[in-house]
Amino acid sequence: MTPVLSCTDLRIEIGGNPVVDGTSLSINAGETLALVGESGCGKSMTALGLIRLLPDAARQSGGQITLQGDRIDQLSERQMNRLRGDRLAMIFQEPVASLDPLMPVGRQIAEALSRDSTLSGAQVAAQVLDMLNRVGIDRPEVRARQYPFQLSGGMCQRVMIAMAMIRQPILLIADEPTTALDVTIQKQILQLMADLRRETGSAVLLITHDMGVVSESADRVAVMYAGRIVETGSVGQVFAGPRHPYTAMLLRTIPRLDGPRKVALPAIAGAVPDISDWPQGCRFHPRCPLATDRCRNEAPPLATVAPGHDTACWHHDRIASDLP
Amino acid sequence: MTQPLISVQDLKVHFPIRGGILGRVSDHVRAVDGVSFDLMPGKTVAIVGESGSGKSTTGYAVMGMQDPTGGRILIDGKDRAAMSRTERMETMRRLQIVFQDPASALNPRMSAADSIAEPLQIHRIGTTRDRRGRVAELLDLVGLPQSSAGKLPREFSGGQKQRIVIARALALDPQAIICDEAVSALDVSIQSQILNLLLELQSRLGLAYIFISHDLSVVRHIADDILVMQAGKVVEKGPTDSIFHAPQHSYTCQLLMAVPKL
Repeated sequence: MTPVLSCTDLRIEIGGNPVVDGTSLSINAGETLALVGESGCGKSMTALGLIRLLPDAARQSGGQITLQGDRIDQLSERQMNRLRGDRLAMIFQEPVASLDPLMPVGRQIAEALSRDSTLSGAQVAAQVLDMLNRVGIDRPEVRARQYPFQLSGGMCQRVMIAMAMIRQPILLIADEPTTALDVTIQKQILQLMADLRRETGSAVLLITHDMGVVSESADRVAVMYAGRIVETGSVGQVFAGPRHPYTAMLLRTIPRLDGPRKVALPAIAGAVPDISDWPQGCRFHPRCPLATDRCRNEAPPLATVAPGHDTACWHHDRIASDLP
Repeated sequence: MTQPLISVQDLKVHFPIRGGILGRVSDHVRAVDGVSFDLMPGKTVAIVGESGSGKSTTGYAVMGMQDPTGGRILIDGKDRAAMSRTERMETMRRLQIVFQDPASALNPRMSAADSIAEPLQIHRIGTTRDRRGRVAELLDLVGLPQSSAGKLPREFSGGQKQRIVIARALALDPQAIICDEAVSALDVSIQSQILNLLLELQSRLGLAYIFISHDLSVVRHIADDILVMQAGKVVEKGPTDSIFHAPQHSYTCQLLMAVPKL
């Protein structure tokens, strides 16, 4: 099966520093792939690079991106524009900031349909109301005429999702879609995205730093650290038996609802390095308790440890036994 | 029985809504509407709830940063509203607050040492040399190297900045710290470092915390008692274990169910 979207050896630079350093990903139809990592590890840059919306300071310096088997990293801006909003859609963390404050939300959703000249005004209006209904907004005919400030954050995110999904894209990229929302609203939005994915069969690239969100809504996960993918696999494989020390330690540092209380949590020493200062060899080695000379000098490649489960660690077989 | 360090009794904070051309008060937003709880020395009370539930406003009222519309706040049994100026200054030394975003809580042009020493300066405590000694002690306490003293905030990572903010809060030897989403903006790998620091400081210094957060798994880890707030009111309160094992109010259940499971 041809993946909906894939990239191989994607490289993105900001001012000569590689923010994304040889990332390969592929997403199949109907699948949710979660890209996780801490701030500054390059996950948003990867997403923006995939749909070629990089900020001016950044540029793609290598790699290939294909959409349903066709290369898109060579397309002109005009051709790319046609893909975005039609076959590719994206939603962001701050729904209120992503919407035009001076335009009623119904009109903003209708804009996505405006390129299709075969639709009459009445048909567009009907589709917008139908979409608002599907994303769970009450009284769509009233809400469509309202401005973003009249809606709550959760409702604005529903509007963003309606806007993204109205053309039935084959891929939805959601960059921290629930980070700015309360937990109860987060649950509703994740549920809504899962429902729409089932109905339309579209693929979802979910970018998040929240392992809880990953375990609840993704099929596969790719863990990023300092511009590189360090581990990928199915959510079941990675959560039950992580094979990279970073993933394993990240999972342990999170307080659990069934864990002991008021005791010291396992912590990862140090902090994520700055992009201008990425370490030699394996980039996690300064924070890794398993690091050896080899890790300090030689960057480990992504290697398969089980079908569908890859990790970039020289010591992947020591994780379960030797990690303190 | 020991006396509570902080006792909040039927606290109300209402904000007027003005309307019309004359700007008359047409109604009130009842941000905090009848909240009561006690904080014992050395203990942690967590306030959880969604945005707009009034949890931060409650914290600000306890700090004295927001005047209550009604109710009383007793610090060591003394009503905050009835305090003299000197007593209020004294209370300010004993309660400190740490906010969510350490980057905006630090003056970008002040060195770490100057930021940490500022409360001592304001309260005119010690000579310059004493203060330098105290800063060194505080850096040690929060796990920062002595070489950080002369550095500016931009030279630190987010987690290190939050350590500076905590050191500054500790400068006056407070008895309680209000942590308003103090770990929410930090990366997961850093969040556990700061939570560990807070727990360690509590056992070493006997600190009490009011821990304001929306993250229930973090709250469960650190708190002795929990207050669940919704629309300005406390809908449920009790010891952490009973809130998590046998929640009574439907809103608490809803919050618990919304926590993603690992």
